[in-house]
Amino acid sequence: MPDLHVKIGSVDFENPIFVASGTYGYGTEVSGLADITGLGAIVTKSITRYPREGNPPPRIVETPSGMLNSIGLANIGVDTYIKKMIPLYEELKTPIIMNIAGSTEDEYCEILEIMELISTNIVGYEINISCPNVKAGGMEFGVDCDLTEQLTSRLRKLTDRLLIMKLSPNVTDIAAIGVAAEKGGADALSAINTLVGMSINTFNRKSNIYYGFGGLSGPAIKPVGLACVHKVYQAVDIPLIGIGGIISAVDVLEYVLAGAVAVEVGTANYRDPNVGNSIILELDALLNKNGIGSVDKLVGKVELGL
Amino acid sequence: MRIEIATILENKLIASNIWEMKMTAPEIVEQYKGAGQFIQILVQSSWDRPLRRPMSIAAIDGDQIAIIYKVFGVMTQILTKLKPGAALDILGPLGNTFTWGNDEFTSVLVGGGVGLAPILNMYGEGIVSGQESVLVIGARTSKEHFIDHDPQNNVFLATDDGTIGIAGTIIPAIKKSLENISKPAIFACGPEPMLKAVQDFAATHQIPAQISVESYMGCGVGICQGCVLERSNGNISEHSYHEKYSLVCIDGPVYESKDVILA
Repeated sequence: MPDLHVKIGSVDFENPIFVASGTYGYGTEVSGLADITGLGAIVTKSITRYPREGNPPPRIVETPSGMLNSIGLANIGVDTYIKKMIPLYEELKTPIIMNIAGSTEDEYCEILEIMELISTNIVGYEINISCPNVKAGGMEFGVDCDLTEQLTSRLRKLTDRLLIMKLSPNVTDIAAIGVAAEKGGADALSAINTLVGMSINTFNRKSNIYYGFGGLSGPAIKPVGLACVHKVYQAVDIPLIGIGGIISAVDVLEYVLAGAVAVEVGTANYRDPNVGNSIILELDALLNKNGIGSVDKLVGKVELGL
Repeated sequence: MRIEIATILENKLIASNIWEMKMTAPEIVEQYKGAGQFIQILVQSSWDRPLRRPMSIAAIDGDQIAIIYKVFGVMTQILTKLKPGAALDILGPLGNTFTWGNDEFTSVLVGGGVGLAPILNMYGEGIVSGQESVLVIGARTSKEHFIDHDPQNNVFLATDDGTIGIAGTIIPAIKKSLENISKPAIFACGPEPMLKAVQDFAATHQIPAQISVESYMGCGVGICQGCVLERSNGNISEHSYHEKYSLVCIDGPVYESKDVILA
């Protein structure tokens, strides 16, 4: 039996298959449809200091091998999150990673301060510094090395929990942002968030997304995700979590070879909320068949040249 | 709700560009709650078009589900090619149902375009339960209709081009259907312009109305938050958590007409 355990920072995860922020609600919504207890971890949708109603429709549109979304960080805000969602995690064995978004450095810090005051079994925070869909989505941090380092170091001082900075592909040099987050004290980095994209209806000349631009996800972005993960892998020493177009165990191995120790499955959840479990079984069988005891030794081992 | 591999029993053209498909899906049928609910169909296993397609349930018979669909794009084109015996990956039953059956009111069931599926479902359920109702179906032209205009038996058809039934939009046909009804309640499903007209008509004449809306959907189970509809009343839903927007897939697709804002 292959060993699927992975350790990130001080946290042990039973397997490296997580579900990505924004594709699994607050964690327990689809528990009637999927075995959420089998997942390596659940990353919640982004939570902001105050509730956000999100963007007007249309918010999503299918695109070749993917989709665009512009939800606009619709969420219940941290106070309601604590009241309604945190208690649901008490009985849950699956590790929960809370995703946080803010429009100012202070807002991120305030949310973390509030969370650190309560009693909860969430294992860590993934910091969204890369939402392309709202001005308040932290994107200004995610494209700037100094701001990324400063924000990370302020958050680092507030928590001993796992601190993951989620990187945007919509930058010139993602490795430089990764290095900044590492310097700031991040335990790990996740990459990538969605790519800015657009889709147009030629019959009525309208954008298929209300605000014009949306975030592209799905298998279409896997090559971009792999390239970003590999670039960051070459530049930092902290663990990476790969995101972007993962639908199978082979995709997971690709991300591992590129440099990731774990992955987050995103858009595929919309088609089948149980896909994470299917991938875990598939990965187990694939490693078994090839006599690979664990994926540890494969991390970053992509070979270049002939 | 659950994901089930259904077996197709029948898939045939029933009017111009309109198809009916029947499939067995006992597990989903077992959880079915009523007209208005829908399923999400995975039309193809490849990922070049990743999302499922929402389709309203047109009838439940034993362990069978029927859908009625209009050929609209590539995916519905692919659906027409599926043969009896083929497997189809479906997720359901999803969404809420029409709330009807109050003896005080006469139900006026209004359907247009592909939106006639849940309306025909209600009509069928009404016949089974002995509930008297009036059926009003709109289409662009007679070729898109597959039932007869039969005002004697409270079936009213409308066509934009007047080739069958009452000419014009659905509204003149609704007015005609209401002539002998003292306390009507309207239940409607169809394209947004039709629903908007029904919504305005119901408000003007102070007729209670429920509408089932169509929406572009990602997941169908409330996690992608893509299928929002603006509320007029700002009620907080424990499902979608928001005051301004409702999630059609879990809060809907059926709403009290007065509760939502249509574009």
